[in-house]
Amino acid sequence: MFLRKTKSQGRSAAWRIAIWPTVAFALGSAIAFAIMYLLIAKDIRQRSDAWLSGEAEVLADVSENTPRDALYDRLVQEVAELASREVPDTSDAYGRHQASVFFLKTEPRQEPIWVGPTPKELFIPAVTSMPLVPGVPANVRVQGWKKAFRVVYHAQKDGGGLYLGFADLGGAQMLDRLTVRCLLVWGATVALGFLITWLAAYRTLTRVERISDTVSRIGSEDLSSRLPEGPHSDEISRLSRTFNRMLDRVQSSVHQMRILTDSVAHDLKSPVTSVRGSLEVALSDGHEGRWQEYVAEAIDGLDRLSQLLNTTLDLAEADAGALQTRKEPVELSELVRQLVDLYQPAMAERGHEVATHLQPALIEADPSLLNRTIANLLDNEIAHLPPGCRITISVSAKEGEAELTVEDNGPGFPPGISSRAFERFVKGPHSAGHGLGLAFVDAVVKAHGGRVEIADRDAVGALIRLTLGEVVGEKVSR
Amino acid sequence: MRLLVVEDDLAIREFLNRGLTEAGYRVDVAPNAKSALALANEEVYDGFIVDLGLPDMDGLDVIGRCRAQGHTAPVLILSARRSVDERVRGLEQGGDDYLTKPFALAELLARIRNLLRHSAPAQSEPTCLRIADLELDLIRRDARRGDELLQLTAQEFALLEYLVRNAGRVVTRTMILDRVWRMRIDPATNVVDVQIYRLRNKVDGEGKRPLIHTIRGVGYVLKEN
Repeated sequence: MFLRKTKSQGRSAAWRIAIWPTVAFALGSAIAFAIMYLLIAKDIRQRSDAWLSGEAEVLADVSENTPRDALYDRLVQEVAELASREVPDTSDAYGRHQASVFFLKTEPRQEPIWVGPTPKELFIPAVTSMPLVPGVPANVRVQGWKKAFRVVYHAQKDGGGLYLGFADLGGAQMLDRLTVRCLLVWGATVALGFLITWLAAYRTLTRVERISDTVSRIGSEDLSSRLPEGPHSDEISRLSRTFNRMLDRVQSSVHQMRILTDSVAHDLKSPVTSVRGSLEVALSDGHEGRWQEYVAEAIDGLDRLSQLLNTTLDLAEADAGALQTRKEPVELSELVRQLVDLYQPAMAERGHEVATHLQPALIEADPSLLNRTIANLLDNEIAHLPPGCRITISVSAKEGEAELTVEDNGPGFPPGISSRAFERFVKGPHSAGHGLGLAFVDAVVKAHGGRVEIADRDAVGALIRLTLGEVVGEKVSR
Repeated sequence: MRLLVVEDDLAIREFLNRGLTEAGYRVDVAPNAKSALALANEEVYDGFIVDLGLPDMDGLDVIGRCRAQGHTAPVLILSARRSVDERVRGLEQGGDDYLTKPFALAELLARIRNLLRHSAPAQSEPTCLRIADLELDLIRRDARRGDELLQLTAQEFALLEYLVRNAGRVVTRTMILDRVWRMRIDPATNVVDVQIYRLRNKVDGEGKRPLIHTIRGVGYVLKEN
C-alpha cells in the first residue's frame, strides 16, 4: 500500500516536472508560428493589392479612353475578362474552378457592365454601398464567399465608377495549408518535448523512489540495507552515497548503544541482586545483632551502582560531544603529585613501589575532569597489578606537548585487549571493573584535544601515555 | 533551626524530612514550586533545600524568586544533573551549595551545617583544637596525643584536622576527598580507607583509646568512646 502510494506520487511528480517546460515551449513556438503566419499573410496581400491596383488603373484608362460607341460595352468587358484570366490559380479547396475576380463598371442611367461570378446581384449592392477611397484597396464582404474581396475603386468622368475586385483564393489556400502543417508540426514537437521531459524526470524520480523505498524499509526492518550507488556520479548517486555513509554511522552508533545498554543492564543486575540480598538477610530473623553489617554491605553495593551510573552518564555525555570542559591553566606535575600523594599509601599497601619523575608542564585543562582521569589510571594500576610491582609515573614537556606516562612492570594488558582498550565495556577476563575507565580517559583527553596511547610491553608490563597541548607562552614568562 | 525542603519525589522528600528532623532541624516540605513559594512567604526559614527538577517550575527560578523577595537564607541545590555547567549556573542564580543525587545523608547534613554556620555571625577562629587527649596546634601545625608528638605529614595533619573539626559527626569518603584533597573524584579503589588506616595507626596507636571509628557503609567519625 505504502509502496504503491509512493510510486503514484513519483509519477505525478514527473508529470508536474514535465508539464511546465512543455507549456512554456508550446506557448513560445505558438507565438513564433503566429508571427510567421501574419508576415506571410501580409506579404500575400501586398502582392495581390499591387496587381489589383495596376490592373484597375489599366482598366480605368481603357474605359476612359475607349470611344463611346456600340462596341464600348463589349470592349471593356473583354479587356476585363482578359485581365481576370491573369490570376493564376482560381480553383477552390474542392478543385472546382471558381472565378475570383470581378469587374464592375457603373454608369448613370445605364445597365452596369459586369464581368465575374454570378449572380451579380449579390455583388453589386455590396460593392456600391461601400464608401471606398479611389485607388486604395479595401475589403468587401460578399454573402456566400468565405474570403473577403479586395476591391479598388476608380471614379469615372462620366459620373460612374469602376470597381475591380479580387479574392485571393490561392493565397488563402496556401495560408490554410501552411496553418495545418504548422499545427501538425507544433503538436508533434510539443508532444515529443513533453514525452522526453517526462521520461527524463520519471527516470530520475524512479531512482529517488528506490532510495525512499530502501530508507522506509530500513526504518521498519533492519539497518543493514544499503542504497544502490550506481555507476553515475550525479546528484542522485551522491545522495545515495551520503545516505549510505549516514546509515553506516547510525548503524555503528546503534550497535554501540545496544552494547552499552546490554552491558549496563548486565552490570546493574549483580549489585542490585546483592543489595537486595543483603537487605533481605538484614530483615530476616536471627540476625538482630548483625543487621548493621548487612545494611552497610547494601550501601557499598549502592555506591558501586551509582559509580557505574555516573561513569556511564559521563561517557554518554562525551559521546554526544557534550562533555563540558571548564579549562584553566593547570600545572600538570602539581596535579599529578597530589593524586600520587593520595594513592601512594594504597599502592604501598599492596607492595607496589612508586617512582615519580615530575617536570613542570603548564597546560590548559579542566582540573576536575583531569583529576578524575588520572585517578582512573591510578585505580587501574591498583586493580590490575599483582602485588609487588613497580609503578613509574612521569610528567614531561617537550615541543609544546605535555606528556604523562604511567608504566608498570606487571603482566601487561591481556591478549587482544590493547587494540580495543578504549572502547566501552572492553575489559580483561579477570577484571572486576566495568570496562569504562579507559573509555572515560580517552573521552576526556580527546575533549582536551590530546591523545592517549597504550603500549603493551609484553613481559615487562604496560604503559599508558597521555599527550596534552602545553601552554608554551606562559611557561616562558614564568 | 527551620528548613524548607522543596522536592517533588515523595521518597526523597520523606527521607530528607526524617533525616533532617532526626538531626534536630524543624523541617517543612513542599512538593512543588507553588507551595514552596507560598510557604516561604508565610514562614521564616534559616535555610532552603531545593531540587532543580520540579514539576511546575525550574528550581533555579524558585531560588531566583525567593532571592527577589528578599529571602537571604542559604540555599542548598539538589540535582540529578551532574554537569559542571549546571552547578555553576545554580551557584550563579543564588544557590549557596550544590549536591548531586545520589548523595549520602551525612554529606547533606555536613553541607547544611556548613551553610548555616556561614550565614551565622563569624566566630573567632580557634588556634587550637582538642578532643579527649588529642590536641592540634593549628599555628604550628602539629598534633599531640597526651604527651606524645605525633609524626604526621602535612596531608595527614589536614585529614586529622578535618576529622577533629567534625568530631562526633560522620564524614563520607567523598567529603574527605573534597575538603582535604580538594578533589571531586570517586575512586574505584580504597585509597581513602588506606589513608585513614595510616592516620589511625599514628593517632590510635597501641594501648590508646581509639578515637577514629569506621561507620560501615557511610564513612568515618572521630569521637571519644
